[in-house]
Amino acid sequence: MGDKSFNKNERASNRETLSGIPVKEVYGPEDVKNKELGMAGEPPYLRGAYDGMYTRQPWRIFMLTGAGDVEEARARVEYALAQGETGFAAETDMSTWLFFDVDHPEVMKRKQDVGWFGAPVMSLNDYRDYYGSLPLGRLYCHTGAVLPHMTPYFMSCFLRVLEEKGIPANKVNSTGQGDFFIAYISILDPSLIPPSAGLKLNCDGIEYAVKHVPRLTPVSIAGNNIRECGANSYQEMAAILSCAVSYIEELLGRNLKIDDFAYAIGGVNLSTGSDFFEDICKFRAMRRMWYNLLRRYGAREQKSLRLRIHGLPLGSIYTFQQPLNNIVRGTYTVLAAVLGGAQSIGTPSFDEAICTPTQLAHTTALRTQQILMNESNVTCTVDPLGGSYFIEALTDEIEGKAWDFFNKIQGRGGFISCLESGWIQNEVAESSMKSARQIESGKRKIVGVNCFEMDEEPYKFRPFKPNPRTWELSMASLERLRKDRDQVRVEGAKKELRKSIRNKENTMPATLEAVRSGLTVGEVGDIYRELYGRWGVPSMAGLKS
Amino acid sequence: MKGRIRVIIGKTSLDGHWRGVQAVATALRDAGMEVVYVGMSSAEMTVRAAMQESADVIGLNVGASYSQVEELIRLLGENEMEDVLVILGGVIPLADIPKLKAIGVNEVFPPGSKLNKIVKYIQENVNAQ
Repeated sequence: MGDKSFNKNERASNRETLSGIPVKEVYGPEDVKNKELGMAGEPPYLRGAYDGMYTRQPWRIFMLTGAGDVEEARARVEYALAQGETGFAAETDMSTWLFFDVDHPEVMKRKQDVGWFGAPVMSLNDYRDYYGSLPLGRLYCHTGAVLPHMTPYFMSCFLRVLEEKGIPANKVNSTGQGDFFIAYISILDPSLIPPSAGLKLNCDGIEYAVKHVPRLTPVSIAGNNIRECGANSYQEMAAILSCAVSYIEELLGRNLKIDDFAYAIGGVNLSTGSDFFEDICKFRAMRRMWYNLLRRYGAREQKSLRLRIHGLPLGSIYTFQQPLNNIVRGTYTVLAAVLGGAQSIGTPSFDEAICTPTQLAHTTALRTQQILMNESNVTCTVDPLGGSYFIEALTDEIEGKAWDFFNKIQGRGGFISCLESGWIQNEVAESSMKSARQIESGKRKIVGVNCFEMDEEPYKFRPFKPNPRTWELSMASLERLRKDRDQVRVEGAKKELRKSIRNKENTMPATLEAVRSGLTVGEVGDIYRELYGRWGVPSMAGLKS
Repeated sequence: MKGRIRVIIGKTSLDGHWRGVQAVATALRDAGMEVVYVGMSSAEMTVRAAMQESADVIGLNVGASYSQVEELIRLLGENEMEDVLVILGGVIPLADIPKLKAIGVNEVFPPGSKLNKIVKYIQENVNAQ
C-alpha cells in the first residue's frame, strides 16, 4: 500500500495544465485576446470543421478491433458492427507490422506471442480472409496500414479485395494510417526502414490515391501515438504539423498541387487524456493552426483548409488497478473529444491496461459513446464552450506553445531529420519521465495507483488470451500460398518492385502486382530492408543500446 | 568493493510499449547504475549481452507469453550465470507471480510499482550476493 496521506480529496487540482501552462483562479473578458472566433465550417475553423456539426450529423464511432487469429478477429469486428459501430479498423499482429512472415527467426522465437495484439496478415490471401467478409464499401473502413512502410502493400490488398468484390474503389470512404509516431517513437526497432524511406512509401500511396482513388485517404497523422509515448499536448500538435510539412514538401516536389492532395493528409488523430480543458482547446487550436499552415502553402479550397479530426481517448491513462474505473476515464475523455468537435471517435476498452480488449470491455467502450451521443444531449449545439473566457484564453495559449515547438523542430531540419537524430524521441522520453516522477511523488494523482489504493482487486474478470494455435494457422496459410502461387510471376514481381525502388518511381503499381502475384509481407519487407537499409535506432535518454 | 551495478534491460516480446521500460531504465541510471537497453531482444541475445557486459541484473519487460522468460532462465543456468538477478515488469497478472518465482525469477514488479522500490530492491539484492 502507498502513502495514505495521498488519500485526501484536494481543494483545487493542479493550478497548471498537464503540459505546464499556468492557470488563473478565474478568467474574465480581459483574458480573451482574440475576439474574431468565426463560425463552425468557416475559416479558421476554430469552432468546428463543418457547419452545424453534430446538429446535422453525429460523429462516427470508429474503433479499433483485433484479436487472435483471422477468424476470431473477424468475428469480433462483425459483433461490434452489429452493436452499432459506424466504422471499423481491424488490427494486425506485430509480426505483420514489422513485415516479418511468421517463419522469420524473430517470430519463430516467440511463436506463442503471435496473435496477442491482432491477427497476422502476411499476404493477399490472409487479407481476403480477414477483411473480405467485412462490409467494405458500406461503412467507413481502414486499409490496415498502420506504419509508413505498410501503406503501399496494405492499400494494394485493400484495392484488390474491393475489385474482387466488385466494389468501385472510388466510391468507398476509407483511411489508412501510415503513422511515423507509432513506428519511430513507439516501436523503435532496427528492423524498420529509415523514416525518409517511410516518407517516400507513404507519399507513393498518397500520390496514387489522389490520382486514382480520391476517397481513400492513405495516411492519418496519429497524434495519439506520440502522446501515448509521453509527449504533452502542444508537442503532439507541433509534431503533427511538422509531419504534415514533410508530406507537403515531398508531394509538391512530385509536381502535385497543394489543393490536389491537402485533403488526403488533412485527417489527423488527436488524443484526449488527463486534462479535460486543455484537450478541448487543443482540438480547436489545431484546426486554426492547420488552416494557417495550409494557407502558407497557398491552399485555397475549403477541403484543403479544413482539418478533420479523429478523437482518440488515451489508453495510457487507463490503470491496471481497479480496471472498471477506466470506464469513467473513457467517459470524460470521449466527452472532451466531443466538445472539441471530433468527426469520429475511438474509445479504448476498460481492460486496455491489462490485455487486448475482451468483447465485454470493447462493447462497454462502444456504449460509452452511444450513451453520450444519444442520452446526454451534448450534441444539441455547435461548439458549446466557444466564447468561454477560459477556453478561448487557453486555446490561444496552447496554440502559441505548439507553434514554438513546431519552430524548434523545423529549426532542427524538420520532422524526418529530428526523427532520424532521435531529438523528438528524447523530448518525448523527457516528458514521459516528468510525468512518471509527478505520479511517483504524488503531485499528479491517479486513483487506484497513488491514492485510494486497495489491497484486494475488487473486480475479477478473465483477461483476453489469443487462440494458442494462431501461429500454426498462419504458418499453414503461408505454406499453402507458397505452394500454390506462380513462382515465375512471383520472381517477376520482385524484380519490378526492386526496379521501381531503385529508379525512385512510385512503387504503387509494382506493389499492386506484387500483392496479386502472392508476394508476402516478409518478402516485400526483405526487399525494403535490402534497398532502403535499416533504421539506426537512436539511443534514448542517454541509455546505452 | 564492486563497481557500478550493471543492468541489462530488454523486452521479451515483439511489442512497442517501451514507456514503462524507459522510465525504469532512467530511474536506475539516475540511481548510479549502468543500464544497457537491448530492445525487443530474444532470450539468447539478452543473455549474450549480459555476458558481454558482466551484468548483475537482467530486467525484462514482459508483454505476452512467458516463453522467452523460461528460455532466459534456462540459458542463464546453462552458462553458470545463476547469480544474475532476474526481475520482470510489464502487464503481468498478479496470479502469475508465484509461478514466475517458482521458475527462478527473483522479483516481479507489476504496473503501479514505484520506481524507487525497484531501485532499492536492486541495490539491496545485488549487494547481498
